[in-house]
Amino acid sequence: MFRAALRGLGGRRLQAAIIFLVVLVSTATSVVALGLLADAHGPFDKAFAAARGADVTVLADTSLASAVRLSATARLPGVTAMTGPFPFAAVTAVVSVPGVAGTSSVPLRVAGRATPGGPVDDLTLDAGHWPENDRQLVAARGAAVFPGSTVTIGKQAFTVVGVAESVTQTADAWVLPSAATELASDTGQPGGQAQAEMLYRFASAGSVAGIAADTGAVRAALPRGAVLDTVSYLEVRRSEEGGIAPWVPFIVAFGVIALVISVLIVVNIASGAVIAGTTRIGVLKSVGFTPAQVVAAYVLLVAVPSLTGCVAGAVLGNLLAAPMLEVNARVYEVGTLGVPAWVDVAVPLGAFALTVLGAVPPAFRAGRLSVVEAIASGRAPRAAHGYRAQRRLGRLSAVPRAVTLGLASPFARPGRTAVTSLAIVFGAAAVTFGAGLAVSLNRLVSDSPGSALPVTVSAHAAGPNLSGPDSSGLTAPQQRVVTAALSAQPATLHIVPQTDAELSMPGSADSANVTAYGGNPALSGLALISGRWYSGTAEADVNTLFRTETGATVGSDYTFTRGGLRENVRVVGEVFQPGKNADVYMSPATLAALDPGGAAPRQYDVALQPGTDVQAYMNAVSAALGSASGNGPYTVSASGGGGQFGAVLTLIAMLTALIAVVAGLGVLNTVALQIRERAHDIGVFKALGMTPRQTLSLITSSVGLIGLISGVIAVPAGVYLHLAVVPVMAHAANSGYPASVISVYTPWSLIALGVSGLLIAVAGALGPAGWAARARTAFALRAE
Amino acid sequence: MDAVVHLENVTKTYETGAPPVVALVNLTVAAGEAVAVMGPSGSGKSTLLNLVAGMDRPTSGTVRVGGERVDRLSETAAARFRRRQVGMIFQFFNLLDDMTVLDNVLLPAQLAGTRAPAARARADELLRTLRIAHRRDAYPARLSGGERQRVAIARALINRPAVLLADEPTGAVDTATGEEIGALLASLNAGGQTLIMVTHNPDLATRYCRRVVSIADGQIASDERVTR
Repeated sequence: MFRAALRGLGGRRLQAAIIFLVVLVSTATSVVALGLLADAHGPFDKAFAAARGADVTVLADTSLASAVRLSATARLPGVTAMTGPFPFAAVTAVVSVPGVAGTSSVPLRVAGRATPGGPVDDLTLDAGHWPENDRQLVAARGAAVFPGSTVTIGKQAFTVVGVAESVTQTADAWVLPSAATELASDTGQPGGQAQAEMLYRFASAGSVAGIAADTGAVRAALPRGAVLDTVSYLEVRRSEEGGIAPWVPFIVAFGVIALVISVLIVVNIASGAVIAGTTRIGVLKSVGFTPAQVVAAYVLLVAVPSLTGCVAGAVLGNLLAAPMLEVNARVYEVGTLGVPAWVDVAVPLGAFALTVLGAVPPAFRAGRLSVVEAIASGRAPRAAHGYRAQRRLGRLSAVPRAVTLGLASPFARPGRTAVTSLAIVFGAAAVTFGAGLAVSLNRLVSDSPGSALPVTVSAHAAGPNLSGPDSSGLTAPQQRVVTAALSAQPATLHIVPQTDAELSMPGSADSANVTAYGGNPALSGLALISGRWYSGTAEADVNTLFRTETGATVGSDYTFTRGGLRENVRVVGEVFQPGKNADVYMSPATLAALDPGGAAPRQYDVALQPGTDVQAYMNAVSAALGSASGNGPYTVSASGGGGQFGAVLTLIAMLTALIAVVAGLGVLNTVALQIRERAHDIGVFKALGMTPRQTLSLITSSVGLIGLISGVIAVPAGVYLHLAVVPVMAHAANSGYPASVISVYTPWSLIALGVSGLLIAVAGALGPAGWAARARTAFALRAE
Repeated sequence: MDAVVHLENVTKTYETGAPPVVALVNLTVAAGEAVAVMGPSGSGKSTLLNLVAGMDRPTSGTVRVGGERVDRLSETAAARFRRRQVGMIFQFFNLLDDMTVLDNVLLPAQLAGTRAPAARARADELLRTLRIAHRRDAYPARLSGGERQRVAIARALINRPAVLLADEPTGAVDTATGEEIGALLASLNAGGQTLIMVTHNPDLATRYCRRVVSIADGQIASDERVTR
């Protein structure tokens, strides 16, 4: 039986190749989608497990709960491990780097730990060594403090001797416990409390509810008010998964579309094989095949190329996912990350099962065929469909007869036409969706300071890159020099002075990044999701993450504090700035109320006249600033950005193209079946004087109309998919979205996209149509 | 009389090394002639007809129809040649199941781009002449064998071809209907229509054609005038 199926396969190489290709593409896309989805948490979870990360970090007031009392919480039910209490202080540090002019002001959460190891939050020492005395400090990875720097906190100066990573970000820096205690008493804590940090692992910490119950138990075991703050690993995990999470929804959408198209095509191929192989079925039955064996033979006919496609698709999916997963693996230094094994097994199996299931109904039809009828007719009885359409279309004398013959063809096999149309609808919907997504992402790139203000001038010296510019900003003479140099450039469109600062956010492990644009903030290029830009003092715009983390809404007031200064500002707008940071935008004057010394511009961002060569402009500005009377060296740099978007746009283009190709293969299969079934008719047409061009017109028009109609149906489907997926992507990036990102389709683009169905259909039909057009008449006429 | 069909040293081989299906055939058919081509199965009769119709190309030799070198034509030119010069009648009619009698007959004219009223008028005339006008809206499946072949003849004649090629026109019908078809073809020939008919039936050949060409193993074994 297996041999009979394989023999049948040999006679249907084109169909086998099509099954192989469509299953390969759909499996590969699904493996990438599910692989990335499964690994959205993968890197963090691996690092978390390896470092025995803290499920919950508790900050306690040690004036209310003694160290003994705090340590006793380790024996609470559900606590599987605890470390601490570690003396803790939240401070603002001044960082200076040897050989680099200026200093930077950085908020730091400093914990006192004797060693980096322990039962909870085993720190990974990236560089240097653990502090050996009270004047040494180890900085957290990403704290923008580098080994060799001097960190001044209050009256104490520390030398940075190492860099370590806490997977749950329990602190920004670590010193010895004695130094931390001294630091707390020296700098003073808000409210005057002495604080300690305790790190817990719990038996049930898989959910927000579980964590809440566990922290509740700790809180209950300590005096009222002793617990100042708690941070769950789930919050850190959520903020860390931002890397590839926003891209997963669209990859999933493409994967599902590819799978649906595969199944549709397999249904057509299997039923086509039954129709074309009727004589063979009759012969198989006449030599003793039971109906069940015929069914099995026809299922095998699909199963063999499908299985091969599934395996090859899984391999291709892993290869496609590897570069994206590698980025995350590098971030967490967790070695090699790959598509999880269960995805490699489940996706190919699922795709295989779906395609084989698609083959079952036509295979049952083959099993039920009468032997006599099958052998006598030589082909499946042609349903008397489409006669009326043929007759009516034949009367259209204004349309070439070859075209009307083609237009009538879809009516002859309405089932196949419907399935092919659906495949084109899904393919064209993917094109519409992919095109919209590309426009959305391009707008994200253009709605960023990097695009609107491509050149930045600051007063940095060359050397290690601190996270921010000189804390004191540019001096008045420097400001005059820079603005004069920029104003003198004919290509300068706008000059936007900018300064920034960091503010702690109560109740969060994160701090808010404050950016203050001088002049009109709309020139920053940032898009507003809602509200308006700040127009004076005591107003601010915030990004979505800030809004969700603080509960602030547009129109509400929020009080910022810094070093004892308070400023109540009104949130007047929500800015589109996705990512892991809470961002705030305010005027320099508003920032001055919180940071009187830090409101001077720290850099100048420049918008350029359209068509300006950025590098040439930067060279000209550098030359101008180099000749200016020295007030320190200046740095002229390109704002950059958009690199990740470039890779994602390439991925979108690739997936869209692959799905369009798969849909095209579906059409190719339909046309190949149609030609096979109507080969004799085509021979008759040719014998009666149909030219190759007319044959081409006949066959392409037979799918052209359904391509056009499917394209028209696909456009709203694709637009709807775009409307549904973009918000999910934005949500995964911790952001809302501006209307410009969602309103991407113009009437003309919709018309052009509507034609995509026609293009897919015609492109898919051209191959077999060309073959039919070139075939010698006598050969076609002999065909059955 | 002028030669409508002229074959010179025509050979057709399908596979390299295999014996030719048609070997060095020389044949001339004059305008208005009725020629029967006879021979056993596999002798090369139908291949000869296909070569004359430009539906196949000879491996060597020249084929001229109406003064045109058919063997050198591209597929497009061959299709245009068939519209103008050749009408084909097949053993199994080769009518298109999903088209009515009228649509089947009109098809070659429509493919040739004949204006609709002229094509319709010609089709009506042929349907009347061939006595099937009353079945113009019927589908082929509803027709008898004789009716089907008459529809096929009407379709072959709609573009007023120089030569009518009939491949076993009575092979799929009963004897009486075969007689009827033979008589119809003979009457068309009597009206000046050049006819080349491939047949197994010696009686049909001698009764309705004035010349009988016998083919054996791809070669012309005899070429005789019929004397009545």
